[in-house]
Amino acid sequence: MTTTGTAAATAGATAEAAGEPGGTAPDRTPPDRTAPGRRGGPGGLRPWRAGLRRGVIELRHLVQNRKELTGHLSNIVVGLLVTSFIHDDVPGTHIPMAHLTLAGFAGYLLFQIGLLNLPQILVTEREEGTLLRLRATPGGIPAYLIAKSLLIVVMALGTLALLLGAGAVLVDGPLPHSAGGWLTLLWVAALGLLAVVPLGAALGAVLPNPREALALIMLPSMALLITSGAMFPLSRMPVLVQDIASVFPLRWIAQGLRSALLPDAARAAETAGSWQLPTVALVLAAWAVLGFLLAIPLLRRATRRESGSRLSARQTRARANGAPAL
Amino acid sequence: MTSTPSSPAGAEPVVETRGLRMAYGGTDVLHGVDLDIRRGEIFALLGPNGAGKTTTVEILEGFRQRSAGEVRVLGADPARAGDAWRARVGLVLQSWRDHRRWQVAELLTHFAAYYPDPRDPDELLAVVGLTGQARQRVDRLSGGQRRRLDVALGIVGRPELLFLDEPTTGFDPEARRDFHDMVEHLAAEEGVTILLTTHDLAEAERLADRIAMLVDGRIRACGTPAELARRAAAQAEVRWTAPGGERHRERTGDPSRLVWELHQATGGPIADLEVRRPTLEDTYLHMLHGRPATDGADGSGRPLGTDAADEAGAAAGADAGTGPDTGSGSGAERARAERAPAA
Repeated sequence: MTTTGTAAATAGATAEAAGEPGGTAPDRTPPDRTAPGRRGGPGGLRPWRAGLRRGVIELRHLVQNRKELTGHLSNIVVGLLVTSFIHDDVPGTHIPMAHLTLAGFAGYLLFQIGLLNLPQILVTEREEGTLLRLRATPGGIPAYLIAKSLLIVVMALGTLALLLGAGAVLVDGPLPHSAGGWLTLLWVAALGLLAVVPLGAALGAVLPNPREALALIMLPSMALLITSGAMFPLSRMPVLVQDIASVFPLRWIAQGLRSALLPDAARAAETAGSWQLPTVALVLAAWAVLGFLLAIPLLRRATRRESGSRLSARQTRARANGAPAL
Repeated sequence: MTSTPSSPAGAEPVVETRGLRMAYGGTDVLHGVDLDIRRGEIFALLGPNGAGKTTTVEILEGFRQRSAGEVRVLGADPARAGDAWRARVGLVLQSWRDHRRWQVAELLTHFAAYYPDPRDPDELLAVVGLTGQARQRVDRLSGGQRRRLDVALGIVGRPELLFLDEPTTGFDPEARRDFHDMVEHLAAEEGVTILLTTHDLAEAERLADRIAMLVDGRIRACGTPAELARRAAAQAEVRWTAPGGERHRERTGDPSRLVWELHQATGGPIADLEVRRPTLEDTYLHMLHGRPATDGADGSGRPLGTDAADEAGAAAGADAGTGPDTGSGSGAERARAERAPAA
């Protein structure tokens, strides 16, 4: 290509313009406005700043949006309500069954944030053109990913804190008994998120539209909620169901959270008679790796495919299907 | 070509394509498009839906891979260009519905943060007339306000090149006029090069320094509105009724001579004599609707092809667009009128 000549010509001036930390003062005027900062130089910080700022703004919008906030809070309320109606003990122990259920519900909510909320956000923003706008913006896609990571982590932490905090106060729910327990809670939650978030991103990259996305994901995740030992001990399930559920991350997230939240006596109700923490770590890490391997090319493809005409074609189709105009 | 990109009229074109081709699964959508867009001009890519406008522009925007040909936008190949190039290009698409929960000022301030030398968001809101909506949520804006916000977002990074995709679709006449004023201001006062795609000839004539007509994946004509109008008028149509009663129609670059010859031949007055100079609109409509019959044909009814450009010089004296029936009366009306007497 003959482009190299000019590219090289502007590159010299670029170094000059980018010679100070990027994005500090928006009203600052670089010497040559035809030579904006490049990635890799100090200008490479700009996507980080923009991404974090974006994440904070999105969080604020989430909190200000009554409908969406109600949706997230009602998950927690439902979890607490269900728990408050359970009065028996975990079989073979004196540990309240409610504790097992609440730990399982915490695992399910993490699972849901990664595999339901995230794909929905991604698909919606793809349809509205947010992804395209950021693609057309320098450093926009890295900033977008940074913002979404922040959003998801805060959502997950907030959900866990509210569920367990309110659970402890209102329905005598479980909390870790030791520093080790808190640590386990932290790493299981973190690894659990890592196991489901890339998968959710991959789903968000391929699913056609928000309505179908919801329908497609909801059913399997409800099935997993029931079969993964999140709501009642896994050992009550037929062995075949246990085996199938064990392939998916929810079982292991829930088991890891139980190990953090319940006393060791509760191990009696586990299928293996122990918490199997190494297996928890291994399975979740494997899902994380698989998720990243899937998500990176799929997200890249989804971004690359975005263009104005595809956007309007999708919107026309959505309107034809009777969806409310975006 | 010197390496002074800031020199205004011309050294290096902002957009340059040679033999640009695009094929989707064996079907050619673009058949070798050549474009040169100069710094600071408003360039309209005019054509009906499906002519290849969108494909062309998306290749220039770096959103689509071309099948063949050479493309340079701001000195780089858009298919490979990085963030530094992105920062110099602005986009206003008609299909954006994004960031609906954001406040107008919040959104503009946020996007300013991606650029090395952004405009002041408050000043920019004033430029696009949205100061009063600064605190409003994006999804509460009217269609016209939304589009003006899109323009503000498109130029917040001080782009050198701005793509405007069917910008005034769905605007009322007043909003359209305001929008046109704003676009002209951007080009004239700030030296932004603007590539406008539209299917509206009136809009292209009103705004553009130059117009390229894209029909069936080919540039069929390119020039200033005045040039195009002159070329369109270069081939006048002469109609008369022969003494025997049959109607005649002939296209000529020199109608006066033809009429004079007719008078000599008849030796007296000629019945139903008419000389018409087609307007640009006639020609454009003719290109769109008379396509199958005229493709590659010569003589009468020839579309305003690139070869017609050669005749433009000869017809330079012709008064652009002031034929006997300029203005009122669309090409379609006239087409009906033509058919009527023949029946």
